[in-house]
Amino acid sequence: MMSMKELEKKLRDRFGEGVIDFAIPRKNRLIIKVDASIVKEIAMFIKENGFDMPISAGATDYPKDKRFEVFWVIWSSIHNLVLILKTDIDRDNAEIDSLVEVWRGVQKFERETWELMGINYKGHPKLKPLLLPEDWDEGYPLRKDFSLSPYKV
Amino acid sequence: MGIARVEEVEELKDGLMRVSIGPQHPISGQGRILVVTDGETVYDIEIDIGYSHRGIEKILENRIYIHGIVPLERMVMLDTSPITMCYVRALEELYGVEAPPRAQYIRTIILEMNRIISHTYALGLFAESAAWNPAIFLWTTADREPFLDLLEMLTGARWSYSFIVPGGVRADLPQGFKEAAFEAIKFFRERLDVYVDSWIDNYLFEVRTRNVGVIPRDKAIEWGAAGPSLRASGVEYDTRKHDPYAAYEELDFKIITDTSGDSYARGGVRVKEMYVSLDIIEQALENIPDGPIKRSLPQRAPPGEAYARVETARGEIGMYVVSDGKDKPYRVKISPASFRNIFLIEMLPKIEELRFADVPVIFYSLDPWFLDADR
Repeated sequence: MMSMKELEKKLRDRFGEGVIDFAIPRKNRLIIKVDASIVKEIAMFIKENGFDMPISAGATDYPKDKRFEVFWVIWSSIHNLVLILKTDIDRDNAEIDSLVEVWRGVQKFERETWELMGINYKGHPKLKPLLLPEDWDEGYPLRKDFSLSPYKV
Repeated sequence: MGIARVEEVEELKDGLMRVSIGPQHPISGQGRILVVTDGETVYDIEIDIGYSHRGIEKILENRIYIHGIVPLERMVMLDTSPITMCYVRALEELYGVEAPPRAQYIRTIILEMNRIISHTYALGLFAESAAWNPAIFLWTTADREPFLDLLEMLTGARWSYSFIVPGGVRADLPQGFKEAAFEAIKFFRERLDVYVDSWIDNYLFEVRTRNVGVIPRDKAIEWGAAGPSLRASGVEYDTRKHDPYAAYEELDFKIITDTSGDSYARGGVRVKEMYVSLDIIEQALENIPDGPIKRSLPQRAPPGEAYARVETARGEIGMYVVSDGKDKPYRVKISPASFRNIFLIEMLPKIEELRFADVPVIFYSLDPWFLDADR
């Protein structure tokens, strides 16, 4: 079993500047922040290194910085670690490679984020409405600029 | 007929039909299952959720931290405490504090009682879906009552307790709780033996559910299954062991797994887990330390982010909480177990032959909860 130090070295050797941050904030936790353009290659690489089970995915809206932080959460059955893989994308051009080909199980999470946050996952096999009503046309509810005033009681 | 590929189904017209189960079907909950079938063989299944989407993630962004607990409990009324535990765990990670030991033990007791209540209900539905004697559902509904009474004694409510709060729990164990709990455990253990004898070990039930909806180990991991659905496929994974919270680290219990990955195994894992839960409650009651039950925390959480996991009855729930230093969370991403498990059934027609009558059996062996998946 490889230590996380070795994984960091392997990642940085292979992808260089593409790995923006590599942090272990607490036990059983790993946060890797990468460049959006190579997120799929990095995902393939970390999957080969034992991170096999997708447990969550989503995005956070930062309108002040004009960016979305897109994340995938992966558990490793070998290392018993939770990995949060993050990347920043431009808020005006919200596009990112879908990781469904890497981890089959992120499909539903990416579909949900596409619907609620308005992020276009390129290469996703099934981007169709999931949670919102079929005739919904009021925008993306999880974005920070979504107006809640019609729903306030 | 063999195993039909989904792409081929679109071209076939004659004899095929798309059957919609739900959204107001008495057994499926507020959701829809679309099944493409020729009357017997199932070619494609599509899960249509969202009929009870309440936008809990957005609601949480607009509530101060402690107020977020109440809407969160509406995700699964059967199993409310693990969900609040997950939110509380994320908050405690943000604050960098831990609850006092006595509070951790009280949390463990509530969490395990909730697991038993949820599993009994799941097993009742499972029995009914397999066209087994409907009396089982009445048994399981009645037999959880002692635990509901205990929880009412402890928290004042039967379902939505709002009892686990950041920094501890709201109240201490009342007088006479321990004795009543031991009595309930004794009663329930006997009832579990009756279930196993009359129903789980029954040949007819086994024939009905064995080799139905088999999820192989590698697929369970790849598709991201959770909880008993994952453990029944041979993956030894339980958040209570792998990322312990509450008092689980100090208690002795083992993870229940099975290797066959079929509907029967999923039901069996739940039954065995209830025996384990009873043991855990007994241990927690015997070893509970004295001391304070709560520490007060400031209203504003320090800026940062946390990812918390908790094992609910249906599997692991994950919450990703981002704080910007205000009294409300900046972002909460909830990944409930039902959302992960409910889509497993969509994958099954692609790898094995299913019959239409197997759909409810598989669905209820996975024990998804539409309200949980919808949030």
